[in-house]
Amino acid sequence: MTQAAIVAQGLTYQYGDLVAVDHIDFSVAEGEILGFLGPNGAGKSTVVKLLSGQIKPKAGTAMVLGIDVARHPKRVQAQAGICFEITNLYEEMSAADNLKLFARLYNVKHLQIEGLLERVGIGGHGRDLVSTFSKGMKQRLMVARALLNRPKILFLDEPTDGLDPVSSEAIRNIILEERERGATIFLTTHDMLEADKLSDRVAFIDRGKIAAIDTPHTLKQKYGKRSLKAQVVGPQGRLEEREIALDGSNTAGLVNDLFAKEQVVTLHSEEATLEDIFILITGRGLA
Amino acid sequence: MNLRILVALVQKDISLYFKNRFFALITVIGLVGFIGVFFLMPKSVEENLPVGWYAPSLPEAFTTRLQGEGLELTLYSSEEALRTAVLDGDEPIGIALPEDFGPQLARGETPRAVLYLRSDLADEYRDAYLLLMEELGFMLAGQQLNIETEEVVLGQDMAGQQIAPRQRMLPILVLMILMMEAMGLAALLSAEIETGTLRALLVTDLTVAGLFVSKGVTGILMAFFQVLLLLVITGGLQQEPVLILTVLLLGAFLVTGISFLIAAASRDLMSVFGWGMLAMIGLAIPSFNILLPGLATDWIKGIPSYYLVDTIHQVINFGAGWEQASTNLLVLLAFSAFFFGLGIVILRRKLQ
Repeated sequence: MTQAAIVAQGLTYQYGDLVAVDHIDFSVAEGEILGFLGPNGAGKSTVVKLLSGQIKPKAGTAMVLGIDVARHPKRVQAQAGICFEITNLYEEMSAADNLKLFARLYNVKHLQIEGLLERVGIGGHGRDLVSTFSKGMKQRLMVARALLNRPKILFLDEPTDGLDPVSSEAIRNIILEERERGATIFLTTHDMLEADKLSDRVAFIDRGKIAAIDTPHTLKQKYGKRSLKAQVVGPQGRLEEREIALDGSNTAGLVNDLFAKEQVVTLHSEEATLEDIFILITGRGLA
Repeated sequence: MNLRILVALVQKDISLYFKNRFFALITVIGLVGFIGVFFLMPKSVEENLPVGWYAPSLPEAFTTRLQGEGLELTLYSSEEALRTAVLDGDEPIGIALPEDFGPQLARGETPRAVLYLRSDLADEYRDAYLLLMEELGFMLAGQQLNIETEEVVLGQDMAGQQIAPRQRMLPILVLMILMMEAMGLAALLSAEIETGTLRALLVTDLTVAGLFVSKGVTGILMAFFQVLLLLVITGGLQQEPVLILTVLLLGAFLVTGISFLIAAASRDLMSVFGWGMLAMIGLAIPSFNILLPGLATDWIKGIPSYYLVDTIHQVINFGAGWEQASTNLLVLLAFSAFFFGLGIVILRRKLQ
């Protein structure tokens, strides 16, 4: 992770009077997974469109793989794989025909369609019409399409949104495999647990601005509250809750007191989630 | 744009078009139906005037002579039968000459002839039939009118070779098939915009310009080959085939541009049909003028399809050549380029 695969400086975009992306600065190192988190309408998809050359910024620049995207979108797109936030496959064509079409457009010469379908977990369905696929299968096919040209950078826009746990896990595994291969991954999601699991760093975007960007661990350290939660038997014999902050100055004394004075039934630690931190920083939730 | 991408996209579009059962079906039904309509229409013009006839006192030779003068006489056995035939609408007019019509004429008397007219007969026809009656009178009386008549035919003399209704139908059938294809292409485009598949295409090596080239080629190919098939089957390529093919190509170019506009204005199949029907009605006006000449005035020359249907009409029905058609071709080319360009500009805005 030495060179930057993405460098955004003062990147701005607006739809009419609505500023969707507001002078954002960030960079993503080669081979890094950046989780781009925010609620619906925060500007995540617009950032993907800007970075992948689908739209031109109103201000600022975005360099992707050392190329100015606004000036040379096709050069960037040739090395990128994009999984859109909407299912935009040709439903009346088979899965294999969808992949063949895009392989021809990307000029991919030796395509192992069945191998690719196997990899995303829909092997044996190459001849089936996409219209007969479940949402999870369609999403896997979208990921397969994004991988066709062995991209150096992957833009994944909500790739597991609305999927069943099995499909979500399959896609997460592919993301990790691609990172192993050396690809840089720009992942937008509003699933904080997913971002926490996959991302080397996460960026919080809210109302078009980046509110925070760091590793999940650092963000939790910086903003999160850790605590011990215990269930104890109260004076009337009922179960009661006790909470001790782990980062306080007298944590050890409080823990000792708990065990000395109370009858502890259960004890567990609790760590802040990225969602808690997002709410703390932006003042609103992800829904 | 490279050929690899163009071929891939055109193949994909044509395949998707025919995978859409609705469009595949209306394309086949439309083609078969329009060809059927052509062959159901009369292949010649009825030049004889139908007349109900009751004239027992006139010699058969006279009646036979009248048949040769362009009248299609149906003989009735009584004046009452003739009246009934006109009343029932079997005859537009009936001419009844009394039994002693000939002898009265011979005696120098003024015989009474009755002209029965169907109630819905137009004024102009009534006047024409009255004149016909007078002419018959002169013929029967053996008198010649003291007038010398000179016939001067302006333009190509079509006497005996009037344009058959089916030949007049051809330009409108061509336009209908072109517009049907335009709606098909617009529906494909609109669906691709709404489902976002165009966005997926545009992040490959395909450029926006390349996209329009491929859609243009698909639209022109599909529209052109269908009208070509129509004209091959109906014999419309017998006169100046290269000129007709050029006109069809320009027509396909024109409707492809219009299909871009329809796609830009539409959100779904229903709105494609709404806008498509509106365009079809507007573009069909000049062809109605060919079907029923004299309906419209010069303002129809402001409708781009005028130059398409008029050229086809002039070439197929009047044997016009490149020289006579050149102005129409140039105007049609200009209109086609304008609509194609406008379609691209508006559709491009929608894509952004």
